[in-house]
Amino acid sequence: MIEITELRKIYRMGDVQVNALDGVTIEITKGEFLGIMGASGSGKTTLLHLLGLLDEPSFGRIVIEGTDLCNLTDFEKTMFRLYKFGYVFQDYALVPDLTVMENISLPAMLRKDRADQQILDDSHDILKKIGLFDRRNHLPRELSGGQQQRVSIARAMVNKPEILFADEPCANLDSENSRMVLDLFREINEEMAQTIVMVSHEPWHQEYFHRIIRLGDGKVISDGINGHGK
Amino acid sequence: MGKKELKVAFLLALRSLQRGSRSSVILTVLIIGMCFTNMIFLPALFNGIGKSISQQVIDYEIGNVLVSPKSGDRYVYNVDATLDLINSMPGVERATPHFSKGATLKYRQRVLGATVRSISPNDEKLISPLYTKMIAGSYLGNDDVGEVIIGKPVAGDPTIKREDEFQPSLGGVRVGDSITIEYGNGYSKEYRVKGIYYTGWATSDSAVYVTRTDMALSQGKPLDYADSILIKTKPGYSEKFVKNELIQYGVTQKVQTTRDLLDKTMGRIMQSFAIMNMVSLVVSIVITTVVLFIIITIKTLSSRRQIGILKAIGVDREVIMHNYGFQVIILSILGIVLGLTLTMILSVYMQANPIVTPDWSASLYLTPMDLVSNSLILFAASVIAGYVPAYQVSREDIQSSMRS
Repeated sequence: MIEITELRKIYRMGDVQVNALDGVTIEITKGEFLGIMGASGSGKTTLLHLLGLLDEPSFGRIVIEGTDLCNLTDFEKTMFRLYKFGYVFQDYALVPDLTVMENISLPAMLRKDRADQQILDDSHDILKKIGLFDRRNHLPRELSGGQQQRVSIARAMVNKPEILFADEPCANLDSENSRMVLDLFREINEEMAQTIVMVSHEPWHQEYFHRIIRLGDGKVISDGINGHGK
Repeated sequence: MGKKELKVAFLLALRSLQRGSRSSVILTVLIIGMCFTNMIFLPALFNGIGKSISQQVIDYEIGNVLVSPKSGDRYVYNVDATLDLINSMPGVERATPHFSKGATLKYRQRVLGATVRSISPNDEKLISPLYTKMIAGSYLGNDDVGEVIIGKPVAGDPTIKREDEFQPSLGGVRVGDSITIEYGNGYSKEYRVKGIYYTGWATSDSAVYVTRTDMALSQGKPLDYADSILIKTKPGYSEKFVKNELIQYGVTQKVQTTRDLLDKTMGRIMQSFAIMNMVSLVVSIVITTVVLFIIITIKTLSSRRQIGILKAIGVDREVIMHNYGFQVIILSILGIVLGLTLTMILSVYMQANPIVTPDWSASLYLTPMDLVSNSLILFAASVIAGYVPAYQVSREDIQSSMRS
């Protein structure tokens, strides 16, 4: 589904060159719940941003179902993100002036293939699924951190994306809420065969992943199930 | 940009204004409203002053068309025949002669220099609203002899001491009192004050009016001459048409329309007003533009991460730009509506309480065109001021936005 070949990302800060990602080659298959783990500065967020078209690689290729993402125009990338991807950020990243319902339906409202009634139905379904239907008219600031992150996941899922990217989604949550969020990811993955690529540095999260890629200094240091590297 | 994108941009804009900082919205709308009022107020006031002066010149000095002595002549001669000719012409409502003489007015111990204007009272009624400006007594009749109407400043106020008077007066003449008028040729006569008027037009208010019959007596000969003939045009007839008719019908005197005369007398004043109007307009537009630019710049800069997030979830940069654009459009529309309301309130207030000076009185003069053009100018300036920072921030790459 996703083929990543010799992916490099080089940041230049004055005369200093930093290889944030240094020749990563991996494949991600459909329906996988993939964990990208590693120490701080290992390049895991950079990799996620490159895969999610939030940043541009310095070298290398990312091909998703035959489409080379590096050849897309800005507008095509935007449409790719809208139609194919879903994102969950560590700080929830909800629009503070929109209600829960409006936040969730926002990406769907931009899709040409969604009628208003379908958006409403999908949003209601997903709100029920995350257990926040009763709070649909609340603003994000009126919700707890865990609830906000569930809304963020619902927003990412409303367009039924092919790949769901999650960048340390539990970083700001306590262990109870973290588990609730991870359970939700697992449920989505299992019930809908949703491909999920999630960045985490918490060792206990690995029990949720089908596969774990460990990065160190921008390179893949292991790739396998629960630490059993290939 | 499709309908869906515009709908999302509008939703984001509306919610930001509804649920964002209310004080910021109120303050911005207030600033735009004030700037709009400032843009409108001074020009409307200057126009009001210009219109008021022009109208008073028309009402009390020149009418719509003025016939004055041709070059080399002191007076317009053959007045009766000329009046008959003019009054029979198409487009002429009425023509009336004016003849003035300098004189000394005496009342008790007071002596005052003034202009004595002679009129044909009934014809004058069709030309000038003087007869409606009587504050005491009554207007002159055509057959009145030995009667005079005098301006309020000439009559004076008996409760004000001479040394405290703004301008010299007769010290408190009342209707029914007698005053003596001594003309420059030595003719002196006692007149009964029939009425006191106040027009607000200094030249008229500092004069006294007698009938042409009385003036003829003072001159010792029939008054078949005049300083000028004032003509009132019929509705639907232009001044220019009447002027051309007069010339075609053989009126050999100097014929000038109101416009001919006001361009000369008021032209420089109006030119000065126009410069001040332009300065006021430019200052208001600059203030509005700068304020909105700053507000939207602050808004966009403080929302950079959110903008990055929106882009990340697939919101196109055009939608983000139009989101801020719509915010400015809504703010400027609210500001303009507030400005229009304030302006209308001011206009109504000033109609009831005009600015009064010893020489003229004026209120705001507003035309729908002024309101529409100023609204459009301010709206355009606001939109530009809002879209520039919105455009800049919407072009930023996602990483830079999200890192902020």
